[in-house]
Amino acid sequence: MRSGSLQRTANVAVTGSYDRMDQVGRMIRTRGFKHGGVPVPHRVPFKTGPIENAFLPKNAVVMLKDTRDAVEPLPVVYVGQEVRESQLLAKSAGRGSSNVHSPIPGIVRRIDSTMTPGGFESRAILVSLEGSFSVLGKRPERYLWKSLNKADISHIVQEKGIVRISTGEPLAEIIAERASRPGFVLVISALEMDPYRRTEEELLAIRPEDIVDGCAIAARMALPSRILLAVDEHISAGTVEQLQKVIAASELDIVVQPFKRRFPQDMTRQIAEALDIADAGTLFVLEPSTLIALHEAVVANKPHVEQYVYVGGGAIKHPAILKARIGAPIGDLIEECGGFSGHPDTIVIGGPLRGRAAADLDVSVTRTTRAVLALTVEETKSAPERSCVRCGDCITVCPEGLDPHAIFKLLRAGRTADAVASGLALCSLCGSCAYACRSRIPLVQKFDAARRNEELR
Amino acid sequence: MISKVVPSTSHPPYIHDWRTSARAVWICTFSLLPIVIWSSIIYGHTAVAVWSVALGTSLIAEAIASGLLRRWTLGDGSAVLTGLLVAATMPPGVPLYIPAVSAAFAILVVKTAFGGLGTNWMNPALGGVAFAYANWPVAMREYVLPSLVSGVDGVSASTPLSFAKGLTGGLDARVMDALRGSAYPLSGIDSTITGFLNDYVFSRLGARLPDGYIDLAIGLKPGTLGESALLAVLAGSVVLMGLRLIKPLIPVAMLTVFAVLARLFGTGLPGESFLGGDALFALSSGGVMFAAFYMASDPVSSPLGRVNSLVYGAAIGALCFIFRRWGTYSEGVVYAILVMNVMTPFIEKGTLSLTRARGRLPSA
Repeated sequence: MRSGSLQRTANVAVTGSYDRMDQVGRMIRTRGFKHGGVPVPHRVPFKTGPIENAFLPKNAVVMLKDTRDAVEPLPVVYVGQEVRESQLLAKSAGRGSSNVHSPIPGIVRRIDSTMTPGGFESRAILVSLEGSFSVLGKRPERYLWKSLNKADISHIVQEKGIVRISTGEPLAEIIAERASRPGFVLVISALEMDPYRRTEEELLAIRPEDIVDGCAIAARMALPSRILLAVDEHISAGTVEQLQKVIAASELDIVVQPFKRRFPQDMTRQIAEALDIADAGTLFVLEPSTLIALHEAVVANKPHVEQYVYVGGGAIKHPAILKARIGAPIGDLIEECGGFSGHPDTIVIGGPLRGRAAADLDVSVTRTTRAVLALTVEETKSAPERSCVRCGDCITVCPEGLDPHAIFKLLRAGRTADAVASGLALCSLCGSCAYACRSRIPLVQKFDAARRNEELR
Repeated sequence: MISKVVPSTSHPPYIHDWRTSARAVWICTFSLLPIVIWSSIIYGHTAVAVWSVALGTSLIAEAIASGLLRRWTLGDGSAVLTGLLVAATMPPGVPLYIPAVSAAFAILVVKTAFGGLGTNWMNPALGGVAFAYANWPVAMREYVLPSLVSGVDGVSASTPLSFAKGLTGGLDARVMDALRGSAYPLSGIDSTITGFLNDYVFSRLGARLPDGYIDLAIGLKPGTLGESALLAVLAGSVVLMGLRLIKPLIPVAMLTVFAVLARLFGTGLPGESFLGGDALFALSSGGVMFAAFYMASDPVSSPLGRVNSLVYGAAIGALCFIFRRWGTYSEGVVYAILVMNVMTPFIEKGTLSLTRARGRLPSA
């Protein structure tokens, strides 16, 4: 942010249309990280509108773990037990675990080990729909949270099992960790750097009051030194204007900062680099959807049993954002969006660049499911794997300034130590190199596997 | 198991860039088509025969290689491209067993013996051409005048470059004047276009374009097939660089260094002065442009990284100039690229320590 009229005019001349004004009329320059990255200028058109609630699933499969390394929560229900909507199913049992609630009223049918969409083992609780709504069907209650102190809020957040939607870590835990190390920047990141997802941006347009209020709750809990709202450079001017009004009406000083549309701008280190912050550890990134969950927990006493999911991709008839219950099978969501319109090549959960493929349509929505994409062959552009032709594209796009081609060759030769010396440990597994690879070599998979082996030793 | 995902058979990212190695090769191949067509027009059936023999042999050789490697590799298009590149460095009237044997050598020995596309340490086409030069030095240097200039097939003549190098009499400072002074053939098209340009464009700027450059640009002079369409080569280079299919730094560095050296040290005419060389003539003769965009920038045999590309390109430009200015043969560019192909690992190793020192990497 620059002040002074001379510099302001100079700024307009240099960066032209990328400039925006914040609420006091200061110039905000669009920022981006310095080297590497994949430009994603194209966005699949999306018809905006109110977000619909998805139908209740007949069977909900609720995963107990949201991250690979978490301690598994302990089930507090037994098979055959009747549960109410939002009733506690499993209780947090240690680091990384959070309370799990029933998304639907019904009967606990099974408690069984399964594979999560994230690709790790977890126990899951199967609840069959039966009985009537008790909480979520009613009008939400509204508590005035301003009278609550930090400990009270933290207790509610923990009780309601709110997790950070991007990573699945318990929100109460990571906020407490942050609060113990003051002087950080809270970044509300609505950045979705792929052609499809736009949940966060839609939420900014539809529920700005709740997001800013949720931000105030998070700020009360963790006391950040400043707050930044990271938005896409192509966000509609109307949304920004509305946000500015809401922010001005609140007590918070939130700076709306546009970022260049270049993958992986949404990763913490790239946000820090774009902001010229040397230590990415001083950033605390939360998504608007997480803030809405936080807000609903504190203000409406609602546990984390619902999730905004973008359902789209070239093979989906009517792409939409749905508010789905946790545990609902993704097939139900796809059906609700009109089903398939073409032949899907891959069904991806999470996002096209860092997500995971679903084996079938029974995979359930978890608290970290942000998108379900049915992609056609034209979109995946998959091709047979060939040997490296040394085109150098992976080096050009690597946002960490590494040489993925060299690391890959070292790994293939079994020289893991040399690969680590060439920067394997600095790799963020963002997938830019594998996206650009002309020979379709699964570089990220190789790097991920090698790193895991290295950690095990 | 209540639900499952595939953990290992598929992996992110699920969307990709449109470029694939096969597609890059095919686009490169199709960008050669104008050259194939134009050379066939100006040289007639002799050119068509060389193109098709080289192409056919390389396809057969690749099929044999596929069988040997037990891997179907004809789809990646590299055999078609190699065949066309081998033909492009041949003179049109060459005996047909030469392109055939060269293409087979390129595919079977230079490429397949080292593991196929991606692992060859030398550009296959250039390897094949070097083989031909070594085996049939006379036949490979027998050039003919395009039938469009002479009106009859098979009038042998030397290329402008070797002709200019052989000039001893006269004290002309400019290559084109020296060629005209020695009655080197000039097409009617050239004199018409040059006259038009001089009358309407250059006269107003107070300049004059000597006769002969238009012949070089449209291939109406003796030369290899690839040299015959300089304008098509330039158009192809725009396509390849615009689609980011080749590393642009290599040809740019190569041509810059080559042109500067040519300007400094000239072509070797008796009357030439230091700093008075004809860079335009140097660039538009001897197949330098074709080699720069279609051979030097071959990704497999060139080094990776910006600094490496610059070093590699500049070294090719310098070597090519040295071979052409003081060497015996005018096809120096082929050997310049081959030498640097071999040097590629050395360049990459040399700059590795440099990048380590600057980057965030721990030194090892």
